[in-house]
Amino acid sequence: MPVPARLSTDQLYTRCDPERFDFRTTADLDGASEIAGQFRALDAIRFGMGIMHDGFNLFALGPSGTGKQTTVQQYLNRLAPEASRPDDWCYVYNFEQPRNPKALRLPPGKAGSLGSDMEHLVETLFSVMPAAFSSEEYQAREKEIRESFQEQQGTAIEELEQKALENNIALIRTPAGFAFAPTRKGEVLKSEDFMRLKKEEREAIEQEIERLKNSLQSIMAQIPKWHRESIEKIKGLNREVAGYALKPLISELKSAYEGLDDVIRYLETIENDIVENFDQFLEKEPSPQETFMGLISTRSGQKSRFFIRYRVNVLVDNSSMTGAPVVFEDKPASQNLVGDIEHASQMGTLVTDFTLIKPGALHRANGGYLILDARRLLLEPFAWEALKKALRTRHIRIESLAQLYSLVSTVSLEPEPIPLQVKVILLGERNLYYLLSTHDPDFNELFKVAADFEDELDRNDENQLAYARLIGAMADREKIRHFDRAAVARVVEHGSRLAGDATKLTSHLQSICDLVHESDYHASGQGRDTVIAADVQQALDAQLFRASRIQERMREAMLRNTILIDTDTEKTGQINGLAVYSLGDRNFGKPSRITARIRLGKGEVVDIEREVEMGGPIHSKGVLILSGFLGARYALNQPLSLSATLVFEQSYGGIEGDSASSAELYALLSSIADIPIRQWYAVTGSVNQYGEVQAIGGVNEKIEGFFDLCHQRGLTGKQGVLIPASNVRNLMLRNDIVQAVEDGSFSIYPISHIDEGIEVLTGVPAGVPDAEGNYPPGTVNAKVIGRLKMMAEKQKKFEERHEDKE
Amino acid sequence: MKTGMIRRIAVAIDCSPCSLASLNAAAEMAGMLRAELIGIFVEDINLLRMAELPFAEEIRLYTATKEKIGTEQLERLLRLQAREARQLLQRAAEQFTIPHSFRVSRGIVPEEVIAAAIEADLLVLGRSGRSPSCRKGLGSTAKTALAKGKKTVMLMRPGFSVTTPLLVLYDGTEGSRAALETARDITRPGGTLHLLFTAETPEEKTRCEREAVSMLSGTGIRPEFHHLPLSNGKRLAQFIRMIDSGILILSDRMGLSDETLRNLIDEIDYPVLLVRQP
Repeated sequence: MPVPARLSTDQLYTRCDPERFDFRTTADLDGASEIAGQFRALDAIRFGMGIMHDGFNLFALGPSGTGKQTTVQQYLNRLAPEASRPDDWCYVYNFEQPRNPKALRLPPGKAGSLGSDMEHLVETLFSVMPAAFSSEEYQAREKEIRESFQEQQGTAIEELEQKALENNIALIRTPAGFAFAPTRKGEVLKSEDFMRLKKEEREAIEQEIERLKNSLQSIMAQIPKWHRESIEKIKGLNREVAGYALKPLISELKSAYEGLDDVIRYLETIENDIVENFDQFLEKEPSPQETFMGLISTRSGQKSRFFIRYRVNVLVDNSSMTGAPVVFEDKPASQNLVGDIEHASQMGTLVTDFTLIKPGALHRANGGYLILDARRLLLEPFAWEALKKALRTRHIRIESLAQLYSLVSTVSLEPEPIPLQVKVILLGERNLYYLLSTHDPDFNELFKVAADFEDELDRNDENQLAYARLIGAMADREKIRHFDRAAVARVVEHGSRLAGDATKLTSHLQSICDLVHESDYHASGQGRDTVIAADVQQALDAQLFRASRIQERMREAMLRNTILIDTDTEKTGQINGLAVYSLGDRNFGKPSRITARIRLGKGEVVDIEREVEMGGPIHSKGVLILSGFLGARYALNQPLSLSATLVFEQSYGGIEGDSASSAELYALLSSIADIPIRQWYAVTGSVNQYGEVQAIGGVNEKIEGFFDLCHQRGLTGKQGVLIPASNVRNLMLRNDIVQAVEDGSFSIYPISHIDEGIEVLTGVPAGVPDAEGNYPPGTVNAKVIGRLKMMAEKQKKFEERHEDKE
Repeated sequence: MKTGMIRRIAVAIDCSPCSLASLNAAAEMAGMLRAELIGIFVEDINLLRMAELPFAEEIRLYTATKEKIGTEQLERLLRLQAREARQLLQRAAEQFTIPHSFRVSRGIVPEEVIAAAIEADLLVLGRSGRSPSCRKGLGSTAKTALAKGKKTVMLMRPGFSVTTPLLVLYDGTEGSRAALETARDITRPGGTLHLLFTAETPEEKTRCEREAVSMLSGTGIRPEFHHLPLSNGKRLAQFIRMIDSGILILSDRMGLSDETLRNLIDEIDYPVLLVRQP
């Protein structure tokens, strides 16, 4: 099998040619920042926003920073202005059930004007009502009613008094009532004079007095009735006068809101209430200064609370809206979503009224679109349930959480629920979507559309230009420097590096935006007006430097031989594998020594990492595959009479992944064939049972990790890395590596089969079997077979001796 | 009479709304004139005699039920009323820092009030007292004071005060001049004083105006003139009601007949100060 040629420099890094851009700097672009490449997600968004049935809300899923919110908002910003403007909503006092404030729906812009109209009405009534009730006509009519009662009462008593006088009996006012007594010459008869009268006379007087008393009692029994009647008459007069004063004002309002039946009904209720409570308008409200200085008395406090009933609490005012609202709620707490009922402290107690009802994001977005971050939503207590309830019932019902969970015990309100028609767009990571989809039965009912955002975009002209537009739009929006096309090209190249694929670009736009900001910072340090490629490179180098503390400490340990990594000699059964470490959002590669030892045995390959439970299942699987390969290739005619042990030397943490399985196989073959491996190479790639080398992740970081060590020890021209051939398309290596390869001081080999790799590593041909399946003498495979045959024979002899003894 | 001679003002107090208005007006006036205030409370002998009768019963005002009433109980109630009257007087006198005294007598109320006020220069009492019928016109005490009293008398009713603009009936007679002098003494500088001239001719009216202006000169009082040629009491009462001012001040020695005067005072629903000259 021929040894593959080392990779050329153009295979190590796919440049973005700035000449392909037809702009000089991003300032020449139109400033639009549309996300390209998200066709699947955009199609789902279009579908989700277009379909008007229940439950077709949208979940935009994808890693954070992929521009989900921007994409959704951009789409809605185009769509929303063409939709009709939703109605206004306000809460007003419910005169029949004050605990249940009424919700009023008005055409856009009308709620605010109703609020100010009502304020104006109350203000006007403070002058109109006193004027009406201080008019001469009213005063005269009221006096007439009062005097007629007095007269009725006085006349009845006077008549009785007169009648009594005719019989020489006086009606006398006592401290607590009335009494009758016989008189003589205008004076009440003394008791001794009375007793001197004849018995018949006395009896006659007593009878007369008794009769008069009965008459007086019946008159007095009538007095409360007359009083009630006169009060009723005065009330009727008051109603008449108040109604007359109020009618033109209410009529004016009714004509202003003609056609709005609910408002007309509300105005009628208001009219009745004002007529009933006209006296409240006869005294001026306390001035704001009085209220401010705390001079407000209990009575005037009650009075000012009284007028709250005529206010209008405008929840949603769409007067300045063009089209449907698009609302993004950054803190989707329950009360921020469905609204809240606040309380005010008054004389140490908590009180509330309908003016303290606060709208939530659902109110503001009603008739339009509401965008929420799914993670933040789920982190807020009760918010997810509140949102689902609103979507399920299609009504926004404001409930005080404190009340609901008995945290406060005070009078609260139950406002009338408001009908809800909204498209909710949740933004979240994929795992959240799948968790909700699996565990929450309501979720699939309510969020029927998923917009799955790609992690990567194809690296084509269109998407490269989209990167440039994004940078240009950012520069315009955030007033930072524009990028020249070389700088854009460098950003595009970094986009490929982040995607881990030379033919792709990352869709993690947050990283790109961060790079743009940092590049702008460095350009400003250099006093440049435009960001150039060197600024981008400086930003990338700075990012790398900031994150490289642990990486450098590890390399230092290798240079000091605290961690043993040989890059100079040849060793049997030992090889340099490559591992990737992830720390937060940063990855870096590091070489690890892998060793293999063999002895007589029953054909098993022992993975020491697995034995001590430091290896993950994928790693163990990779090692077990090695047994399959060894058995199938070398033990068809004889038993595999060896036991092998494999270990990652000096690893003190867990190991996962099968990217070291090819390295392990090379170490094993070297150990069996007793052929040393050149330690100036490092190896990565997984292997299957046929010995084919398969792709792995993090190839760039792995190569860079080994290169950095070799570079610090001094490049000899021999050093290099063996990578799976299928990973060549992922290569976006650092410039210094590309340079070293170009200089011939470092090599990268694309390996497709284990036989290719072993030849590079040992300098001994792997060997191709002849028609009988025999490998040419001196080849690696022939040596492996020879050693295995010898071990099988030894094993056989040992077993025979053992059986003889028995 | 010179009003400067009002040194003692007697006020009848029976704790009724009218008598409270009387007390306030009397105290205000005493304050202005630096006069002494004499409170009079009369225990109605008729009431006490009634209580001694074997069948004495009262009908309660707010329940219309019959209750036996005895002398002892009545005397206790009258004592309580007298104490309340004394307290009201004290409070009013303290407010205006005037000397005061309080007298309780027993007898027929109108006679006792007139007798107790004999040493006073002005008697103030309510247009109606605790009369049973809550009548519109004058009460029995007021009527007696008008008919039998020799001293200047003021009949008050609630809702008025000495400080509201006064109205003087002026016809150029000596009596009306005395009335104007009294009004002048109890009107504060800068205050308004209504004058109603009953002169029958324009010349007479002009003369009256001149006299009035001369009498008020230097006082700072702003006079407002009204004119109604003398006619019967009813028309006069109507006109006074139209002017709608405060206390009506007139004299018993004007060009009005006793009957017209009595009718006017009875008819009009305003407080009246009737100036009498010895």
